[in-house]
Amino acid sequence: MATTTGASTGADYAYAFPHRHLLGIEGLNRLDIEQLLNLGDRYVDLNRRRVKHVDVLAGQTLLNLFFEASTRTASSFEIAGRRLGADVISMSVAMSSVKKGETLIDTAMTLNAMRPDLLVIRHGSSGAVKLLSRKVDCAVINAGDGTHEHPTQALLDALTIRRRIGDIGGLRIAICGDILHSRVARSNVQLLNILGAQVRLIAPRTLTPPGAADWGADVFTDMRKGLEGCDVVMMLRLQQERMDGAYLPSAREFFHYYGLDQEKLGYAKPEAFVMHPGPMNRGVEIESGIADHKTRSLITEQVEMGVAVRMAVLETLARNAPDLGAKNA
Amino acid sequence: MTARTVIHNARLIDPASGRDEIGGLIHVAGVITDVGPHIGPDLRKAAPGRDTIIDAKGKTLAPGLIDLRVKTGEPGAESKETLETASQAAAAGGVTTFVVMPDTDPVIDSVALVDFIKRRAAGVAKVKVLPAGGLTLGLEGKRMSELGLIGEAGAAFFTNGDQAVEDAGVMRRAMQYASGFDALIASRPDTHSLTRNTVMNAGAFAARLGLRGAPPEAEWIAVERDLTLAETTGARLLVDCISTGRSLRSVEQARAFGVRAACSVAAYSLFFNELDVGDYLTYCKVFPPFRGEADRRALIEGLKRGVIDAVVSAHDPQPPEDKRLPISDATYGAVGLETLLPVLLSLVARDELSLLAALKPVTSGPADLLGLPQGRLAEGAPADLVLFDPTAPWLCDRDDLHSRSKNSPFDGRRLEGRVLRTFVDGVTVFERG
Repeated sequence: MATTTGASTGADYAYAFPHRHLLGIEGLNRLDIEQLLNLGDRYVDLNRRRVKHVDVLAGQTLLNLFFEASTRTASSFEIAGRRLGADVISMSVAMSSVKKGETLIDTAMTLNAMRPDLLVIRHGSSGAVKLLSRKVDCAVINAGDGTHEHPTQALLDALTIRRRIGDIGGLRIAICGDILHSRVARSNVQLLNILGAQVRLIAPRTLTPPGAADWGADVFTDMRKGLEGCDVVMMLRLQQERMDGAYLPSAREFFHYYGLDQEKLGYAKPEAFVMHPGPMNRGVEIESGIADHKTRSLITEQVEMGVAVRMAVLETLARNAPDLGAKNA
Repeated sequence: MTARTVIHNARLIDPASGRDEIGGLIHVAGVITDVGPHIGPDLRKAAPGRDTIIDAKGKTLAPGLIDLRVKTGEPGAESKETLETASQAAAAGGVTTFVVMPDTDPVIDSVALVDFIKRRAAGVAKVKVLPAGGLTLGLEGKRMSELGLIGEAGAAFFTNGDQAVEDAGVMRRAMQYASGFDALIASRPDTHSLTRNTVMNAGAFAARLGLRGAPPEAEWIAVERDLTLAETTGARLLVDCISTGRSLRSVEQARAFGVRAACSVAAYSLFFNELDVGDYLTYCKVFPPFRGEADRRALIEGLKRGVIDAVVSAHDPQPPEDKRLPISDATYGAVGLETLLPVLLSLVARDELSLLAALKPVTSGPADLLGLPQGRLAEGAPADLVLFDPTAPWLCDRDDLHSRSKNSPFDGRRLEGRVLRTFVDGVTVFERG
């Protein structure tokens, strides 16, 4: 049983992952992404065994630092770390030292002094994770920074599509909803473009970022037109506070024009798959019957792929980390 | 064969096509089927006996007027005006389509209220009534209303009515959102912090009267802001009731740069200047206020150049209890449905304007803005028509007005041009006895 070595053992690693951190999809190339997805693929198999454990991170410390509330991403990273044999500590900083007035950098310096090997950070401000990565010695993984990037979500989405459909190149993929505030959309557009997909963004104008047309995606306000011929429909979560008349008149008007229901889904390809990063607002951006659809909804599969992809990311970055003890000796 | 109505011996005026000639018009089942100089007495002979023949006796036949700014008191203040009484005033003024503002109680900011106005008007109104949807909930300028659903329900355009949206962020998002539906947003240009509690145009005359004046820059600032937002969002904007030459220049300049902006002018702004407030006349307390003579002339020049898309009545009925007060305490507003056409015809009679230039912004101008089929003498268009005597002089007496409220600044004034007969979908809805 594979309990001492990771899924990556083998002679297929001619290409070394050239990054110390995973701060975003930006800066990655096709090889980087495919390497992570290939490794993730193998971890899916491991995760389906009864004993889901390898020791590639034995003795290493993974620190999950969530400045913003999260259930699924935090637990996904925690499970990923534990299955790789790391010592995992998860901190919800929202309710600890930050409340006491400590600055972000001070928190980072303090935690850095505890010598973690991998630091997973979610923060409500765009760019905050990058800022922290400059102040610490370990590998930093962005688990979502403001409305900037959420690279592991994009990787898990790609892995989900790849396992279901195969090659992402040439697929027509629509991302619908609150693009403006979505880090998931920003990471996904970049990653899907790198893999050669034809990306479409569908949103009301108030939730379409300025310059979105230059992201390498076709922008639509009419969902029916946008969904035409799509292989995959990715719905985004709409925050409650966007629906109170500031960005959108009401939840019901949003559902009328942008909620994924059977009728609108009918404009996509007959066997198109539906994805959602969760948590869902049923009846706002997606109809329950579609979210729970046995063959077309990939939503729970995305969660499973999330653990596998995060294991791949953790292992890859851990392998790249400099051994500071050796260097200072 | 369906019965036809033949109107002949008329001076046909159609701003949409530029037609100004003697001839006639035939309509069948409410739709114009033929128009032109060839429709004359000989055709009358050829017509079977069941046709209705109307001899216009050389008077002028034009498309019925379209008025983009009317307030009634329905729902909420029916003592001021109802849809029914407003439609009677409209018919008497040759107005065959008008848009009601959402400033009612409750505000027309939901699908249900738009539906209410449409059904109520269908039941009681003599002319066509289109509801404008409230841009923000309760017209509070904070949260946008359901622009998509209200538009589908039949709102002609969206406006915050008399309350300008102060928050530029709200306005920007509303424009962005509306641009997704290509909806038209009408915005009254006002910077409320500069015009609060003002009575008339700011300047030497207001100072002499000892009255608080509304400075024109309150309008200029708002016009520039809204044009800028229309430019960056790509929204369609109607700058609602500009009253100064400088505002008009701003709109023209923006348009030259490709901004999708239109503008309207209240009929009273073309007729009065600030001196008309002279005797502390509360019927002359309106917003935007009567401006200086230079501004009035600049707006007339704008009509001549064809750059003003719509002239509106800005009909705003107010009861005596809100008007018979010291001018500082009186409420704003003037009725105008019945005097809209006579005001324009008086300007024509004074040689300030041509008849075609005067009628374009009350016929094809607003029709094109809203994409309406009426507002033109053309085959296939609805037979919404007005027959009028362009030079008949009359003395405006407020008690003769059909509106339930009588607050007209034209009370006691001599006007030229009178409506003789008004048709909506071919049916006579007003005929002067």
